[in-house]
Amino acid sequence: MSLQIVIAILLLLTMLLFLASRQIRLGRSNFRLRPLPAYEKLSGQVGRAVESGQKLHISLGQAGVTGAETATSIAATQFLSALAKDSCANNTPPIVTVGNGTLLPLAENQIRNAYDAADRLYQYQPNHAQFIAQTEDNFAFAAGVTSELMQNKVLSHVLAGRYGAEIGIIGEAANRQNIQQIIATDDPTALAIGTAVSENVIIGEELFAAGAYIKKEPSQIASLQVQDLLRWVIAITIVGVTIFQFVTQ
Amino acid sequence: MLTKRLPTVIAISMGLLTLIGLLFSAPAINRITLTWGAILAAIALLFGVFNLFIVHIRRLLNERNLYSGVLIISMLLVFIGALADELGMDLVGGSTVNYLFQNVQLPLESALASLLAFFLLFAIVNLLRRRRSLKTVLFLLTVIFALIGSVLPRLSIIPESASSLIATISTVIDTVVVASGVRGLILGIALGTVMLSIRLLLGMERPYNK
Repeated sequence: MSLQIVIAILLLLTMLLFLASRQIRLGRSNFRLRPLPAYEKLSGQVGRAVESGQKLHISLGQAGVTGAETATSIAATQFLSALAKDSCANNTPPIVTVGNGTLLPLAENQIRNAYDAADRLYQYQPNHAQFIAQTEDNFAFAAGVTSELMQNKVLSHVLAGRYGAEIGIIGEAANRQNIQQIIATDDPTALAIGTAVSENVIIGEELFAAGAYIKKEPSQIASLQVQDLLRWVIAITIVGVTIFQFVTQ
Repeated sequence: MLTKRLPTVIAISMGLLTLIGLLFSAPAINRITLTWGAILAAIALLFGVFNLFIVHIRRLLNERNLYSGVLIISMLLVFIGALADELGMDLVGGSTVNYLFQNVQLPLESALASLLAFFLLFAIVNLLRRRRSLKTVLFLLTVIFALIGSVLPRLSIIPESASSLIATISTVIDTVVVASGVRGLILGIALGTVMLSIRLLLGMERPYNK
């Protein structure tokens, strides 16, 4: 029985996604993205870095793409994809750090694509992305990223993906260097600490909205629309069940 | 065209295969996908280590970066240690890699972990300096209550009524405010993950392509 329910939910969501996507493509949807200050700040990052002759640092966190946290890492690469496109067009590629081996080819591929999109593939050199430490070594990763921030002229940095408490060390090091920072993570501990070290925090599910806010593709905006609908369904169900239990007791 | 479509076809096929394996509890399929995933992750880790070595050897040679020199020497030392272990050579009265881990990496990481509390304290003070909003004050009060709530009730000098009141407030913060916030957060993340996974399965999201 539960199997049929899961399949039915998946099919329903797929259908809703296609429908919402089609409506947006045809211009029939009046769904608007609510303003998120951190995403608004993100758009000016590359320009400021190029003007000041400083660099942009993007870290994709410590989650890989072979486990349950794959979605978090994929969402994080959308930040890299958008920022690398602008910065590679000006031949100022971002410093990219990863905390998992499986993220390295993904990050390298995004930078190569960014150079290709700017017709500057001849300027691309491998090893733009840097592996720092594997997932289990949280503090080694924090020390490695901090060292990159200290040794390079970094104007601003984006920490997107899965982090733990060590985000406090990276964030505080960035603050001491007057580096503007945007934190986007889905880990509750990292979010609590991130709020203390940065004003620009992209919280939990907002991380998965990166594609919609940055690239503004119809399928990604449609996905947010379906997500909003699901949230209402779940909220109403929770309230309904609570009232039902309260009344029947 | 083929080079553009092939990765998408492989990704969707593997995604569907994994989904079928999980939905229909097919251990054979799960074993295959997990093994392939583990092999790819191990190869990726190896590439990661090579990347680390190449990046820092370049920095050492081109920029004369001292830190990169220390990193390269450390990497080589651990490699020699692992090689010695494999060849059965007893350099330190046991496993050399374990010795290095226990005496170098572990103390360094523990020191960094213990510094985290101070980093956080500085971060909160700086936060109060940067913006004195209701949210910041609430954040600070919650931290103070969480700290007091975990220490004060255990002290004998505090009257029982006061310590029980502090413990109650602390428990309410922990079990009602924090738990409901975290659950809401997790629910949103789960929805985001499901939708992103569906987009990946449908080939709408292609992080491996242009």
